Amino acid sequence: MKQKGVLIFALCCLLAGVSFMIWDMFFRQPEESLNPYAYDMKNIKSGDTVMPRYTEVQQIKPGLAEIHGIAAGPGDRIFVAGEKGVEIYDPSGKRESAFPVDGSARCIRVDRNGLIYLGMDDHLEIYGRDGKKLKQWPASGADAIITSIAVTDEDIFMADAGSKIVYRYDHAGNLQKKIGEKDPRDSIPGFVVPSPYFDLAVGSSGMLWVVNPGRHSFEKFTRDGMLLSSWGKASMAIDGFCGCCNPSNFAMLSDGSFVTSEKGIERVKVYSPNGEFNCVVAPPGSFNEGTRGLDLAVDSKDRILVLDPERKQVRIFVVKR
Amino acid sequence: MEETGKDPKLNRREFLAKGLRVSALVGIGGLAVLTVKKSLAGETVWQLDPSKCIQCGRCATNCVLAHSAVRCTHVYAMCGYCDLCGGYFKPGTKTLNTAAENQLCPTNAIKRKFVEDPFFQYSIDEPLCIGCGKCVKGCGAFGNGSLQLQVRHSICVHCNQCSIARSCPADAFSRVPAGKPYLLKQITLENPK
Repeated sequence: MKQKGVLIFALCCLLAGVSFMIWDMFFRQPEESLNPYAYDMKNIKSGDTVMPRYTEVQQIKPGLAEIHGIAAGPGDRIFVAGEKGVEIYDPSGKRESAFPVDGSARCIRVDRNGLIYLGMDDHLEIYGRDGKKLKQWPASGADAIITSIAVTDEDIFMADAGSKIVYRYDHAGNLQKKIGEKDPRDSIPGFVVPSPYFDLAVGSSGMLWVVNPGRHSFEKFTRDGMLLSSWGKASMAIDGFCGCCNPSNFAMLSDGSFVTSEKGIERVKVYSPNGEFNCVVAPPGSFNEGTRGLDLAVDSKDRILVLDPERKQVRIFVVKR
Repeated sequence: MEETGKDPKLNRREFLAKGLRVSALVGIGGLAVLTVKKSLAGETVWQLDPSKCIQCGRCATNCVLAHSAVRCTHVYAMCGYCDLCGGYFKPGTKTLNTAAENQLCPTNAIKRKFVEDPFFQYSIDEPLCIGCGKCVKGCGAFGNGSLQLQVRHSICVHCNQCSIARSCPADAFSRVPAGKPYLLKQITLENPK
């Protein structure tokens, strides 16, 4: 009886040993797959606990191979520019028309008459509503990379990331003014543009707002290039902008608030007209990791149109009820 | 007596002798082909492709050397010289200064130097770098990706089978010509592709 007990005990020990060996050989996660130097991006991105005040209501899937720029035009039409073409959608997201362009349109703006302005790397092209090219002219800088355009009745402003400057033209294409050149006498710090994300817009008051991405700030200029004010905060926290060059893009709501998008921590936020953080539109979880160039537009109903080049979608956000 | 009636089949001795001769010829021929091929291809060394690297940390832990031959390299032409550098500062850092608690690098191998407002230069203190890739991840995510890992050939002992390459989950290691032993990404504002 005693011998039988010893035998059973030995058998159990043997089984336990074999089981351990099988687990060790086939099922145990190798230590080397655990990175002792991990930089956990998920923790950073999920750190923001501020709940979005907007909700995504619609997505549009353009037919272009690559999409780079978005604009809202008369009648709340949605204009999408990209590789070798422009597509136009009605406010409900139904495609109305499209026309081809030579090359890649990096940015787009539509004026109140429906004329379409395309930034084509080193030159500007202007198209009629029917997609017919009306004129074009080169940017004034030698290494021009046009990243944003703003249009008023008098002026066309172009942000040139290559020359790190904003050009003001009249509608005939004559250069009127260089804006934002470093000038300590006028307290103009100069634009710091480490990568080709350099956005601008004209606010409802007619003032020109330009992102100074390397300084993580917005700068307000008169059309004559006088710096009036600036705001912005460099921080990875929810109320700031981080990385080498953020915000990457922005648009303005009807009350003068700023809608901003960032790369690195991919998110879309709203700031009040005087630069106070207001709310989140889309948190980092809404985008694929590594998404860059989230161009923005706002229509007359203050719907926020987000161009997601990674998912190749136009995503429409509205305030939650 | 004539030998016309002799069996034409080889006997064992002749078969072995011929077999030996053929084997020797094949062996010498193969050796010659290999030598010519190697001399034409030139010498190659191990290198890692930064565009494939996923910063898994194995470069720091899997090299046969106690202090890995993989180190961080800074491509200055790509750098934005940012004040808030994603490769230098830990996430959530409140004050942008060189205090140890603010630094992402576990060995303090990145040096930050003020250039002019608002630019800062970041340089790698190579003897301190362990090739963990933490800064590379931060720079790639928030910046232009100017910090990149590379096998330093002055340190590498040139194993035939690189132990890091064997464990690299991204298959980022390959043999490159010894005359061009580094594979650095050179993406700049003027040359974005």
